[in-house]
Amino acid sequence: MKIDIDKLKKIVGEENIRDNVADLYVYASDASVHTKMPDVVVRPGSINEVQEIMKYANKNKIPVTPRGAGSGMSGQTVPLSGGIILDMKRMNKIIEIRPEDVLCKVEPGVINDELNNILKPYGFFFPPTPSSGRICTIGGMIGTNASGNRSVKYGATRDAVIGMKVVLANGDLVNLGSNTKVDSSGYQLTKLMVGSEGTLGIVVEATLQISPIPKIRAMGIANFKKLEDAGKMISDTIANGITPSMLELMDNVAITAVNNAQNLGLPDVAAIVIFECNGMVKESVEYEINQIKEICKKNNGTGVKITNDENEMTDIYSGRKKLFPSLSKYRDGLYTTALADDMAVPMSKIADAVQEIHKIAKKNNVVMSAYGHCGAGLIHTKILMDTTKKSQWQGAKSAVKEVYDYVHTIGGTTSGEHGIGFSKGPSFKEEKKDSLGMMRAIKKALDPNNILNPNKLMDSPDDWLTATPLRYQIAD
Amino acid sequence: MPKNKEKSKYLEEYEKQMNMCIRCAYCFEKCPVIKEIQWDTDGARGKVIMSYGLLTGELEPSQYIADKLFRCTFCRDCLDKCPSKVEILKIIENARAEIVDAGFASDTHKYIIQNVKNTGNIYGDTEVIFPIQGGKTPLFIGCQYLGRPNKTKKYIKILEKLGIEPIVVEEICCGFPMEVLGFKDDYEKHKKEFKKKFPFKDAITLCPTCTVFLKEGHELKAKHVLQLILEKLPKANLDMKVTYHDPCDFSRGLKIIEEPRKILEKLGVEIVEMKNNRENSRCCGGGGGILMTDQELSNDIAKKRIREALETGVDTLVTSCPTCETTLKKAAQEISEKEGKTIVVRSMEDIIWKGLKNA
Repeated sequence: MKIDIDKLKKIVGEENIRDNVADLYVYASDASVHTKMPDVVVRPGSINEVQEIMKYANKNKIPVTPRGAGSGMSGQTVPLSGGIILDMKRMNKIIEIRPEDVLCKVEPGVINDELNNILKPYGFFFPPTPSSGRICTIGGMIGTNASGNRSVKYGATRDAVIGMKVVLANGDLVNLGSNTKVDSSGYQLTKLMVGSEGTLGIVVEATLQISPIPKIRAMGIANFKKLEDAGKMISDTIANGITPSMLELMDNVAITAVNNAQNLGLPDVAAIVIFECNGMVKESVEYEINQIKEICKKNNGTGVKITNDENEMTDIYSGRKKLFPSLSKYRDGLYTTALADDMAVPMSKIADAVQEIHKIAKKNNVVMSAYGHCGAGLIHTKILMDTTKKSQWQGAKSAVKEVYDYVHTIGGTTSGEHGIGFSKGPSFKEEKKDSLGMMRAIKKALDPNNILNPNKLMDSPDDWLTATPLRYQIAD
Repeated sequence: MPKNKEKSKYLEEYEKQMNMCIRCAYCFEKCPVIKEIQWDTDGARGKVIMSYGLLTGELEPSQYIADKLFRCTFCRDCLDKCPSKVEILKIIENARAEIVDAGFASDTHKYIIQNVKNTGNIYGDTEVIFPIQGGKTPLFIGCQYLGRPNKTKKYIKILEKLGIEPIVVEEICCGFPMEVLGFKDDYEKHKKEFKKKFPFKDAITLCPTCTVFLKEGHELKAKHVLQLILEKLPKANLDMKVTYHDPCDFSRGLKIIEEPRKILEKLGVEIVEMKNNRENSRCCGGGGGILMTDQELSNDIAKKRIREALETGVDTLVTSCPTCETTLKKAAQEISEKEGKTIVVRSMEDIIWKGLKNA
């Protein structure tokens, strides 16, 4: 593949092109385990520049992979076929904020938390709350249909994106969706673009629905000796018509990790559930939080505590907040890898799934913790292993397959919020085998030359482990 | 990509740390360099990835990589933001050592290190006048203050006025420039010499960076003079309104955050905080050697901080680090000249001295 760098320089300016091997090496990876270098990294600064790049790439059949912060965990921005990385961070303007229409329009490089800081004086926020909100871009969130610990109440990015401008593979610019909450005008192409991981077009502007910032908040915590009880508590809460703004589970591995690393003295129980309710009226928040308290007790929850004191709420959440860093210090020589990291299961199956995950991990000689936004059915797991040993990777590969096979048998899905990329390709293809043909037909219609982030999702390789070199030094 | 290079001299020790890095990019959040430059390569994660490439042999040392690795202010924000608590700055320091070993040190850096080796200070000044005196408490002055004799004199007078009798000897540079600029072998030799010239176990210090380095590099019980001054300072009524800039080695390094504020409070100075303050303070753009090799970037970072200070509406910014003072003064002057918005940058010792005269 020969890329005309001078041509690209004419489009975006010399300062917005890099092709030194050091840059290509850095842009070869994201937060996944993979690595594959692009041929060039280009930073467009306008819609017109994106159009010109796409026209050139399409004409010359050069792969193009859009990238925001590069914080994806499944290899979405690892350019499997080389080509151009489109680093979208320069397109970071907030175009307009319309509180009266409960929406804002932004460029894809805007960072989630920076948007929320700007929305705050208006009394609004953008509801998807990914843990990576401090650095992730709106474009990346759209690409993966990201969500976070408040998805139980507010849903995922897809629920909050109502319109967008997209540059297609051939360079054409299209306007999708509308400025309205409801839209029955034909195919919902905006929703199709969300979660398409840059395989169908380059999002260059997004219209986002924003929500008023709740004035009242209360939080609670409960301990459970049995995972089944914690699972039942979660499913009872949702089934009772309560809408918590957060419903998080930590299993024993997670609790142990936090205690080992942070010395927080959390109780050595099978599970801890943290819950939060928010709203505009004190009475309604109190009603909901008390209802959850009763549900905890009914399901044998102990040490149940609820509070609306800011400091106490910070204390309650500190274990969950510190979980991610704690995992990397769980045991010396074990490293956190983003594998089988965000499956979602029906609410009633959470406890079963967590137990099965531990069995599978043990069988394959790796450590897996389970935690996450269980109120939305989402379970985060990370595989902790010695990434320098080949045998551990084989164990991880088996564990990933077995976990997903199990998740599918109970009606769950491969990814709840991080997306597929190609780390989860094999299991995704197994889960969606009936509709892969539809997906490929859509891709072919929009990108006949297969230049947009090729070999991802339905076209991803059958073996994630050998799809690219792994980014670790591995001994035989 | 081949991974068969002989083990690297400096980075091998950090392989585990680099494996701990999950490449989540949380270090982007406030990194002053990536905020200015917006290329992944120039952020902390990019530097860790390049370091890994140097370790594995996937990347060969080059001038290009050297330029990137030296574009870091060592502001410590990435250390705060990293969820896995990876020793990012240690990795960068050691990658710099690999690069320097391979012959890619900048001439400016080589010049400074040669100065330290030849004269014991970064300026190459063979005729330094040390304010030598006998007392009870060893005082380490550090190159930044030795080069600013008036400031040093002011601090010594403050200490004396508060009944603290410092011991000043013919010290030599703490060696931090050698460590941070990648001259590790030189530092190992220098360390021995330092111990001979400054043979104390406890010391009070003037420079925040020296304070950190005396603790971490030399395992001395070092205490910054402001901590001591706070205990002894009488109240005054300066009736000033200022904003305070936390030096990174104070706020994120030594966690000396409230002491300077309490001193200002004691002197009757009202503080109007900037949007990013305390542990979240923005960088001044002056650290990590960047001031010597990339002044434009350093100045851009400093100007951002001055703009933040201007947003407070006060006319004075106070800080307690000579490097911060220098970079911020330059940026403030430029903004004043070009945009007509003025803020005066002053040092803590200036305010304390003024307060003592007023007390």
